[in-house]
Amino acid sequence: MAREIYAYQCRLCGEMHYPFKMVCKNCKQNDFFEFDTVPLPKKGNLLTFTRVYNLPAQYEVATLGLGIVELENGMRMLGQIDIDEPKAGMAVVGSVEIVREETYDHYYGMVFRKA
Amino acid sequence: MSVDLEKILRPVDSPMAPYEPKYMVLASGEVAVVRQVSRDEIPDLLKHVEPLIHVERDYYDVVASRVYAELLGHYQYRFQDQYVLAVQIDGELAAIVNGRQVTPKLGLSLHTLALRRGLRIGAHAFAAKMEYHIDGLGHDEVLIVAESPIGFRRWMIEYKLEKRFDIPHELGGVPSWALTRELFDRARANLVVGRRPVPPELLEKAMEKILPPSDPPTPAMDPLAATRSKYDPTATALVEQRWEMEGRSSDA
Amino acid sequence: MRDVYVAGIGITTFTRLEYPLVEIASYASMMALKDAGITEVDHVYVANMGAPRVNHQTALASAVVDSLSLMPAGAAAIENGPASGGSAIKAGFEAIASGMHDVVLVAGVERMREVNNLEATDFVATLTHPIAEYIYGVTLPAHAAMFTRLYMEKYGVTERHLAMVGMKNQNAALNNVWAHLQQEITLEGILDSEEAMTNNPYVAEPLRFFDACPVSDGGAAVILVSKEKAKELGRPLIKISGVGQATDTHAVHERKEPTDLLAVRKAAGDAFAMAGKTPEDVDVAELHDAFTILEIAESEEVGFFPKGEGHLALERGDTALGGKIPINVGGGLKGRGHPVGATGVAQAWEIVTQLRGDGGKRQVEGAEVGFTCNFGGFGNNVVCLVFEKEA
Repeated sequence: MAREIYAYQCRLCGEMHYPFKMVCKNCKQNDFFEFDTVPLPKKGNLLTFTRVYNLPAQYEVATLGLGIVELENGMRMLGQIDIDEPKAGMAVVGSVEIVREETYDHYYGMVFRKA
Repeated sequence: MSVDLEKILRPVDSPMAPYEPKYMVLASGEVAVVRQVSRDEIPDLLKHVEPLIHVERDYYDVVASRVYAELLGHYQYRFQDQYVLAVQIDGELAAIVNGRQVTPKLGLSLHTLALRRGLRIGAHAFAAKMEYHIDGLGHDEVLIVAESPIGFRRWMIEYKLEKRFDIPHELGGVPSWALTRELFDRARANLVVGRRPVPPELLEKAMEKILPPSDPPTPAMDPLAATRSKYDPTATALVEQRWEMEGRSSDA
Repeated sequence: MRDVYVAGIGITTFTRLEYPLVEIASYASMMALKDAGITEVDHVYVANMGAPRVNHQTALASAVVDSLSLMPAGAAAIENGPASGGSAIKAGFEAIASGMHDVVLVAGVERMREVNNLEATDFVATLTHPIAEYIYGVTLPAHAAMFTRLYMEKYGVTERHLAMVGMKNQNAALNNVWAHLQQEITLEGILDSEEAMTNNPYVAEPLRFFDACPVSDGGAAVILVSKEKAKELGRPLIKISGVGQATDTHAVHERKEPTDLLAVRKAAGDAFAMAGKTPEDVDVAELHDAFTILEIAESEEVGFFPKGEGHLALERGDTALGGKIPINVGGGLKGRGHPVGATGVAQAWEIVTQLRGDGGKRQVEGAEVGFTCNFGGFGNNVVCLVFEKEA
């Protein structure tokens, strides 16, 4: 089963949040954890991107592609970009994969590729 | 008798094509010349390498000690097939790189010593060295190790070197990495710069004399600034050393 | 609210320092205490970001108070990412303005080079959102690069403009003996020559090596006092007349308009409002140029130039020494260096130096109103200060 990245929808006013916040940024009235999880759409357009050459200690690749994507539902997210020649506005599709490894821990996140 | 002994002790150097000098513009706008250093110029280099043996940071002490030994060995005919290149800015020594030929198809990178910081001269010098191995000497592969973490990132990761862990490198027997001709061709566009031929006046200035570096790395002035954990974890001996320098008695 | 004055300043060289963290903080603090002519304070704030993680030292302020023998003065460390310095000054300001204390030492210190560059990059990256950003391997240069690309597309900023800021600030540092970088650079060397791509390689496209500030160690300190104390000490009367701070979303992708720095806009606006001044009144400014694009963007958001025209002002020479509004004449973060916790205090140090007329070769003639912008996170926590020279 494919993994998902979730947005959090306030049960009172319906405002969508990614990433998670304890207090709804719209109505501020929600009770503890009064949110529903909604999987984020995987399709979107590339808003901006970069190729990073100076990486933190945990990465053993030479460069890393990163970008901010505007998803189908209007929300945005940061992800790794596995695209040789990215262009602003490019249609992309994401899949949830390992984006970071630290000794024995794996961290999953969205990797976007050309749609 | 001594002549015969020398014949046995002295290694016979293989024929190696000379390095073609080149020049480049640095970030400061200054022009650097990269050229090969001949045996009789080695003593001029040694006197600028020696002070760095006493600089404890950034592995200068380890690298400078090893470079000193390699250069001296080369000068005294006790090191086979070594080459030495120098980077000079207006005649002033800015970096020294060296390496050797193992077989006509295999090279071995020894060291990169930068005497001028802040202009990526070490990176330029390393690239020049690799260009000499692959293009100049016709090696298919160069064995490399790194003494510092920055070296590791810059070379092993940036150039994507291949592991040759079954080969212990001369520098301490650590597992080697290799730059192949294929890897070098891929990295060439980004990493190797320099224009040839060097204009005659520029080359003449560089070849005429190796001038002392104007701003080389120096040991920290204050003993307390030395890498404390290396020699004295409690730092008390260092405090006493400083007081001694200042002419103070420690048991007042 | 009482008026707050800066009566003493101190700074160490920003470079790679082999001294322990507490000593660096103490050195700058001792200089400030001697400058003010005092040996006792009511309270101490120490600005710092990495001590627990990089230097294995928690409760830093307690250590600094002890090293300076300032006991029994109260003390606390202030951690606000790269805006720690500005936040610590704000805390000291509040202590004096409220009437609670009369003399406060604010020191900023960082010793990032205790670890290697890769660890330092990771350390700074920990300020990003842990789940939406950090795990992806995002670094501050990566954020700045993505922001730069949008700025280039929207407003026409080019790599040349970025290189011009980098060169302006790195070369300005030559006039500042405390600055980290003391190496002149030229546009030919970093942009135009065929060697430029290797001299000035990409750090995170489109930002290059000379677009980013160096990793530095260093400390800076200021002594904040009440008006009565300032007069008693007889030092030049430099007032902090405006303080503003604002926050924005943690995850950069959640910002309303990706090319806006709303926290900078609000913090600057609040600071000017408190001071009763406008951006036109400013004679000399210190903006947070951790990346060259930020100087351009901040110069617009704080109100020196209309949005999207910062790079045009740069072309005109408005932001150089001698221009309409000199920015970062001491090198800024690019040339002076960026020991994260110390920067906010170092910016104040530079402005006070300018307003006192002690700027030497980099003095802005007749400077009477100064401004600093200390940019925390990636624009999600910003502190702005307005300084004024009083006759």
